[in-house]
Parts: sequence; C-alpha cells; structure tokens
Amino acid sequence: MTETTTRVRSIGLHVPMVDGPEKVSGRAKYTADLVPVGALAGRIFRSSCSHAEIISLDTSAALKLPGVMAIVTGADCDTTFGVLPIAATEYPLARVRIRYQGEPVAAVAAVDDATAKKALSLIKLKVRELPAYLTPEAATAKDAIDLHEKRPGNIEREADYELGDVTAGFAKADLVREQTFTTSEVCQAHMEPHAAIAEFDPVRSRLTVHCTTQVPYYVHLMLARCLKMDKSQIRVVKPQLGGGFGARTEALNVELICALLAKKAGGTVRLLISREETFLTSRCRPQSWLRMKIGLTKEGQITAAELETIQRGGAYSGYGIVTILYAGALLYGLYDLPSVKFLGKRILTNTPPSGAMRGHGTVKTRFAFEALLDSMARELDLDPFTVRRANLLKAPTFTKNDLMVNSYGLAECLDWTEKASGWKIKKGKLEKGRGIGMACSHYISGAAKPVNWTGEPHATINLKLDFDGSVVVLTGAAEIGQGSSTILVQCVAEVLGLDLSRIRIVAGDSEVTPKDNGSYSSRVTFMVGNAAVEAARNLKTVLVTAAARELGVKPEDIEVLGEIYRAASQDKGLSYDQVVAAALKDSGTIMVKGTFTTPLEAQGGKAYRGAAVGATMGFSYAAQVVEVSVDEETGQVTVEKVWAAHDCGKALNRLTVEGQIQGSVWMGMGQALSEEVVYHPKSGLPLTASLLDYRVPTIKDSPPIECHIVESNDPNGPFGAKEAGEGSLAAFIPAFTNAIEDAIGIRFTDLPVTPDKIFAAMEKRKRATGKL
Amino acid sequence: MESLPDFDLIRPRTLDEAVKARQKFPGNRLLGGGTDLLVNIRRGIGDAPTALIDMTNIAELKTIKADAKKLKIGASVTIQEVADDSTIAHHYPAIAEAAASIAGPTQRAMGTLGGNLCLDTRCIYYNQSDWWRSANGFCLKYQGEKCHIALKSKTCFATYSGDLAPAAMVLGAEVEIIGPNGQRRLTLTDLYSGDGQNYLTLEEGEIITALSIKKEPGLRSGYEKIRTRQSIDYPLAGVAAGLCREGNKITDFHIAVTGTNPKPVLLDGTAHLVGGPLDDEFFNALDKLMSAQIKSMKTTLAPGNYRRKMAGVLARRLTKKLFDNYCQ
Repeated sequence: MTETTTRVRSIGLHVPMVDGPEKVSGRAKYTADLVPVGALAGRIFRSSCSHAEIISLDTSAALKLPGVMAIVTGADCDTTFGVLPIAATEYPLARVRIRYQGEPVAAVAAVDDATAKKALSLIKLKVRELPAYLTPEAATAKDAIDLHEKRPGNIEREADYELGDVTAGFAKADLVREQTFTTSEVCQAHMEPHAAIAEFDPVRSRLTVHCTTQVPYYVHLMLARCLKMDKSQIRVVKPQLGGGFGARTEALNVELICALLAKKAGGTVRLLISREETFLTSRCRPQSWLRMKIGLTKEGQITAAELETIQRGGAYSGYGIVTILYAGALLYGLYDLPSVKFLGKRILTNTPPSGAMRGHGTVKTRFAFEALLDSMARELDLDPFTVRRANLLKAPTFTKNDLMVNSYGLAECLDWTEKASGWKIKKGKLEKGRGIGMACSHYISGAAKPVNWTGEPHATINLKLDFDGSVVVLTGAAEIGQGSSTILVQCVAEVLGLDLSRIRIVAGDSEVTPKDNGSYSSRVTFMVGNAAVEAARNLKTVLVTAAARELGVKPEDIEVLGEIYRAASQDKGLSYDQVVAAALKDSGTIMVKGTFTTPLEAQGGKAYRGAAVGATMGFSYAAQVVEVSVDEETGQVTVEKVWAAHDCGKALNRLTVEGQIQGSVWMGMGQALSEEVVYHPKSGLPLTASLLDYRVPTIKDSPPIECHIVESNDPNGPFGAKEAGEGSLAAFIPAFTNAIEDAIGIRFTDLPVTPDKIFAAMEKRKRATGKL
Repeated sequence: MESLPDFDLIRPRTLDEAVKARQKFPGNRLLGGGTDLLVNIRRGIGDAPTALIDMTNIAELKTIKADAKKLKIGASVTIQEVADDSTIAHHYPAIAEAAASIAGPTQRAMGTLGGNLCLDTRCIYYNQSDWWRSANGFCLKYQGEKCHIALKSKTCFATYSGDLAPAAMVLGAEVEIIGPNGQRRLTLTDLYSGDGQNYLTLEEGEIITALSIKKEPGLRSGYEKIRTRQSIDYPLAGVAAGLCREGNKITDFHIAVTGTNPKPVLLDGTAHLVGGPLDDEFFNALDKLMSAQIKSMKTTLAPGNYRRKMAGVLARRLTKKLFDNYCQ
C-alpha cells in the first residue's frame, strides 16, 4: 500500500463503482451466467385464460417423456406467499383458481431445455372459464364474483381519512379546483429477465437458491414457508443483478417454483424466464384513476387538498395495501398542508399483480397534485415557483400525518432550477409550439418500519479484519446496480481514512452476510450506511486501542491518518499494518459489528389505519424544469432539456448521485411519453410484453439533463446523506405536461402523453374553434 | 424468446450455389442479417426452417454500382452501407434517408437491402410468442383461421413496414430476380401482393439479387417517417416522395407509403396532379388520393387513424419541402 500521511477521503467525490470493472468488461456473473454442472432446465406451464376454475390438470404424458425429471403443480404447494403478512394470497402455482393470463399452473424440470419445452406441450389443463375483470369498474360491478374469498367486492383495501378540516380549508380558499387524471400501468423494464437456480441436496435436505432479487431475506422467508423447510436449511445468494426498480422487492413465483422443482427432482434446477414472462411476473406500477381537489388562496397558499384514487391492483395483493396507503400518505412531506382528505381503493382484477415501482405509491399522486397546482397558478396569474414557495415546510418538523422532516432543501432546489433554466425569460415567452414547465417531488429515505416487523435493528453490518490488513464488509444489502456496495465501502473507508483498495465487500449471501431487509424504498444508503459507519467506528476503536498500547499513550491521544496511527504530529507513529498486527495479537481475526435502528418518533403515527406507511428518517427533495417542443402537425414532442435539482442531504458519491438523478428523470420520461402496459381488452393477453412494444425511451429520445445536487445535511443521515435514487422521478411527469400546456395550451391528464393523443386533442380543439 | 431450433446453415459463395441450395433443402429460408427472420423464428413465427441459406457470402450481391445513368444495389449490401454511400445520398436521397432511419445502429449494421425489401408483414396478433398466439386461437396469417383485426376478412391485414421499398418505388425501381427458371426483372411495386399473409409475389425458389434504379434527371426525392421513439421502432407511417419542378409547376410526382397497408403503396393517380403549382387544389387532390388508398387497420398499438393521418401530413410536408428546395 502507498504510505500517506493524510487520511484518504472518499465521501463527496466522484467515485467509480467498486464493481464497475467486472460489469463493463462482461466478467460480472449474473444469475443466468451461472451454469452448475448437471443442472436441469426448468420451464413454466402458464394459463391461457384470465379467470377460471381448474377442472383437471393432467401431467402424466409429460412425466412419461424421457428426460423429464420432475413436474410440480399447485398440488405440490398448499402454502401462499406474499410480502405483507396480512395479504399473502398467492400460490406459486395456481390451485383451484386461475386469476390472470399467464399465471403459472405447472412447471417441468428436464435434462435439457428442448425436453422441458416438449413436456409443456404434453400437459393437459381443463378449466371452467369465469368472467374476467380487467378493469376496476368490471371487478366492482354489482354482479361480479369475488376473485378471493376474503376480499368481498374485490376490494383489496379501502382507505378513508381526513386530517384537519378539509371543508373549512376549501371554504377559506380563493380558488378551489378539481380535476381527474388517469395513468397507465408501467413496468420497471429492468434489463435482466428474472432467473433462479435452486440446488437441493437430498442427502442433507438443504436448499441453496441463487436468484434475481432485491430482497434475498424476504425470498429466504418465503422459500421456508412454501417449501415447509426450516430456515436454517436454506441459503439464498443474490449474484450481480441487472436492475430492480421495485420489480423484485418481494419474492416472486420464479424462485419459489424453481425451488419446488429442485426439491422434487432432488437436484439442481435452472429456471430462466423470457422477456414476455418477465413482463407478466414484474410487479408493475398500477394503472390508476385519480380525482384531485386543491384549495388555494390568491397568494398561492394551499388551504386544503383532497385525493380520491382507485388503483387496478391485479390478481393478488403483493405490496398493494402499501401502494394505496403511500398514495395518500405522501401527499404530505413536500409542502405544508393544513388539511387533507384521502379516499383510496385498491381493486383486485384479472391482470398480473402490480406492485412497487421506483417512487412507490407517490408518482401518480404527485403528477395529479403538481399538474393541478400548475393549472391553478395560471388561473390565479401566479408564477408556479411562487406557488411552491408559498407552501414550504420549516424543518425540523413533523407533518400533520406525523412524518418526520429534519432537513429540507426544496427552496434551494427551486432557486437553482429557476435560475439555471432561464425560467423568468422563458416562461410564457417561448415561440409557438415550445414550452417550459416545472414541478417538485420528494421521496422517503427508507421505510422507517419494515413490512416484516421483527423488532431487530433495521440494518446490520459486519466487518472482518484479518492478517492481510484488508477490511471485508459483510452485508445483506442487495447491490442491484444502484451502487449500494460502493456506498458501503466508501462509508467504511472514510471512517478509517483508508484507500478504497483496502476494503472489499461481500453482499447478499445468507451463509456469510448478516440479514438485511433488502434494496427498496431507498433505505440502503441511509440505514445500512449508518450501520456501516458505526461498524467502522467500532473497528477504529479496536485499532486505536492497540496503537495506543504499542505507543504507550492514551487512546484519545492517537491521531488516525488512515495508513498511519500516531500519538502527536511529530511522532512517526505506527503503520496501519503494524497496528493491525498489534490488534490481532489480542484476538486473532477481528469481527466488529454496526447496527442502525430508526427511532420510534420516525416510525409514523397512529392518526389512521396504516399511518406507519410513509414514515421515514428523512425525505429527499427535487425540483425540475422541463422544456419541450411540440410538432403541431404530428403531435410529436421533443424534450429539449431538463434541469433537475435534487436534495440528497449529502452526496456521498457525486458520480452515482448524478447517475441516479439522470436515471430517475429518464424513467419518469418513459412514463410520461411512451411507456404503457396494455392488456387485450377481451382476452387479457399482454400486448406490450416485449421491449419493442413496451416503449422505453431510447438514447435518441433522451434530452440533455443538467443535474444539480443540493446538500441539506440531514442530522441523522450517514455524513448527512438522504435518498438519491427515486425522488427525482415523479417531478418529471407533471413538469412535462405543464410544459406541453405552456407550448400548445392543452392540458393532458391521461398518461402516457403519446403523439396520437396530442394530435387528437389538437384536432378536437380545431373542430371546437371552427378551424377544421 | 426461444432458442433457435436446429437447422442446416448453408453459406453459398455463388448465386448458382444459392439457387441449387434452395432446391435441395425444402423448407429453407434465405438469411440476410437475420434482424427480422431470426427474431420471428425464435418466437415460433413461421414454420421452423430446415435450412437457412446465408446470402451474405456471395460477393456479387455485396456491391453497389452507380454511374451517371443507373444505380444497382446488391441484395446483401447492408443497410448501413446503403445509408453511408455518398453516390446514393447525392443522387437518390430517398434511399439514403430511408436506410439511415431504419431501426437502430445494430440492425442497420446487420440488416441487408434484400432482407428489408422482404421484411415480413407485422400485426399485434402475429408478432407474439407461441403461448400468446395459441391462447388467442392463432390468426389468419399463421396457423389460424380467423383475422382478429377484421373478423370476417378472408385476407390478412398485417402491415408492411419496410422503409427502403417506398423510397425505391418513387424512383421507379426494379428488382432483379434469379430462380430455377433463370433471371427476370420485376417492377418493385409488383413484388408485393397486397395480402398481408403471402405478401410477396416471388415464385418458389426465387431469390432477389439486386435493386436497380434508372436515374431520372431532375427527379428529386426524400423520405420521412413517424415513429413513437426516434430509434428502433418500426414506422407508424413512412412516406417517400419524388418530384420534378419547372418554374412554379410540378412536372412529375410520385408518392409511396409504408407502415399502413399490407404492402408499400405507390400512390396511384399522382400523374393527374402534375402540371400546376403546389397550391391548395394540389394538396386537396393529394389528400383525396391518400385517403382513398392508404388504409391503416389496428395492427399496431398506435391507432390506425393516427397512422393514416400522419401519412397525409408527411406526404404534404415532404412534397412541399422537395418542391421548395428544388434546384436544377
């Protein structure tokens, strides 16, 4: 190692990802890259109807096919799974009822893929078709039959609460407006399709599963539950992962089916599903209908807000209850809202179950809120920035629904976007067909209370220091491409003052790494980062104690310069290696631990049923300006430029924070412009289950994005850091539709805003004004 | 997508070998860049070929020959090579513009002229997995009896989406064909049947070897298309135009459209529009021809009506642009 006489810094710099070299050179191993010797090929037999009762399932011919080693059906697992203990309603393989097109009914493990494919064609399924409900309207019609026994009327969850006096609030307002919005279902469209490899050791009855998940621990729990195995006999490993964005924040049927096959075959099964199947299996952001009502004073102050929303949940619960509660809870946290009324309904339908997607629960709410606010500002002749500034929170504070806000950089975000975009000279003054719009958004830094509440710390990090002087970070936090491993290595390196090359990380192997709830709700940097800082401090204490003893001074006199520990500035001191050797003399290999627990006051209140949803240690804040041009003859929109400011507390790694902001903007752009999961209105078959038909924007559609990082230094965040990966998504969508209104004077309330919709709206206007 | 099935891969080095291979391996398919064919095979679309005959190893199909009077592009020239050729860009801009707009860079690098001319027609009920099509009862174009676009239809409405064909059509292109019975030439418009199912008029065992265009002095051309994303996507509508101008009068005029009908449509009746200025009367007459001949059904997720209207907008736009920028 190079000798330095100063601490090495890594926090706050542009630090390349620690797993970058493997990824960019193609050496990184993803689940599908692992090909264990003798692995059987798995295949799933799927339903071809949306709603039916199973009359018979005959697998005998398939089982007789030479090379078929095991077939599993609903009969092989009578236990449901689901991320919410109160809503585990789904079987890995359908039993009795089929509830959506493509639902797994059986699965085959065979010596090779061709045999498995052939075996599927020999499986005979007989069903009695039931009426299929592809929309909330159909599912809640009077004569609709229930999809599930315990969900009468196909209502998964109904939320209804009022905080403060909304009626009085609207009465106080100078302007009250109400508008309905619809948003399509959108898919995470992560690059790596779902895959699993399950190895069952029949001698020891042990199971090892490698799979594409953001939550190895939840997968572990569901494997134990569905396979009726003791948790101690299961090992879950998460290899490198090609994206998540919420699609895999709960155990999916893929890993469960793979494990059921492996257990039945008494061997190893590799189950790689196609892109089409991945679309069916991803837990998309639900299609939603929203009615937003806001009251404003003529100065732009919000007096009351009311949101009614209905989400198409799909056939099973998944995170559904949480999604609908987020939609209401995260009305709060961005602005000061004196009174709020929320009516939310999550409806069960015969479509694939939807779930958590980047910006979970808040994106649609934010779209409706910011869009209506923009229209109202126009009506009151107020600048949209003025309206936002009239409603800022004052941190530290608790919102009316008991969400803790300790740091709040929204004002700086607004200032920067306004200035950098040239807002004042552009707003309302651009040439015809060109427009500019703005909006704000926020997101939580980790759910303060995990869905699987155990009372344990929220995060645990183990550090191992051995004779070689390297520090190994052991974490269950799932690196899914977002850079969590890099951040944890940086946190440890920063505390110890060491170069990153001293630190290694092992992430996501239940055999070695401490349990972690996983990568969702932007929790890792805040929670696991804090645990890493604590663990590193504990390690530092061990090293300082050893150095003090060697130098014959008091521990508090030791100055740590990373590679040098010394007693006073004149002292040559001890090298890091000497200190490590001294420390090892006491105990041999050193293992230290750090944990993080969210304090009770951060865990939300009890104002209404489900009020813990939305509670967090801190919110990120974002403001965005979007400039567009619209081709008025074709309805085609070009996003010319985006200015995105994001308050992430403290940018631990400026490179990855910028990447996350750009990625969020870009994902929001997809939802705003072109992305839409469509099911055939009669058959329920997916019409967009490929990357050609599901239109994620290409680089040709991507505008220049100017990022600005605001650092509000959260008192509880590791080095002041908060969320960076989700908060900037939601702002793009309303900023975009606001910009379109500025460009052509038409307000779009139905996502995505595709060229044909713009064209149709302009034709309609021409007809109305007699110009056509 | 499924893995590719087993097949023989034949790589003929001469046209003669290729013609013989087509006879020797019944159920074969010609392979250019594979950007359309291999995707379809992996989706179980079309009967699994027993043999793929790779046409990209035949030297004479890989050349672009251009002189003052004519252009000949070999069927195995890649789309990127067509897009990059300076002679084509200068004298036959519609071809170059169409080539440059096809799919994305990787498809252009692999895809060939012949492959693009023979691009299979597309439909939301057809370009799906085997599981999907089976669950839907298959369709008229493949394995089924029913057209899901128009239930009573006896013909298939799957849409032709190739970009090069319309561009070549407005320049009066012909295709050169070789087959068991020797060589022949065919006007490009006659290559397409108008039925989405058997959309090409090629005879059993025939191979397109080249596209040839006689240079019409004074003819100026261009190509424009609309798609949801600015890369990858097939055209929702693509329009090529070619025209001559003398003074304020348009003296020759051709329009061809892709992405709407089961074939690329060279607009019939444009000869009647020439001789006058580019005024409202001209454009109204053009609109009439377009709305009579451009029929887009719901074969894509974007509404058929939008595609039809966009074909009209592009036709007007492109015609005006070529006319205004016309230089002798």
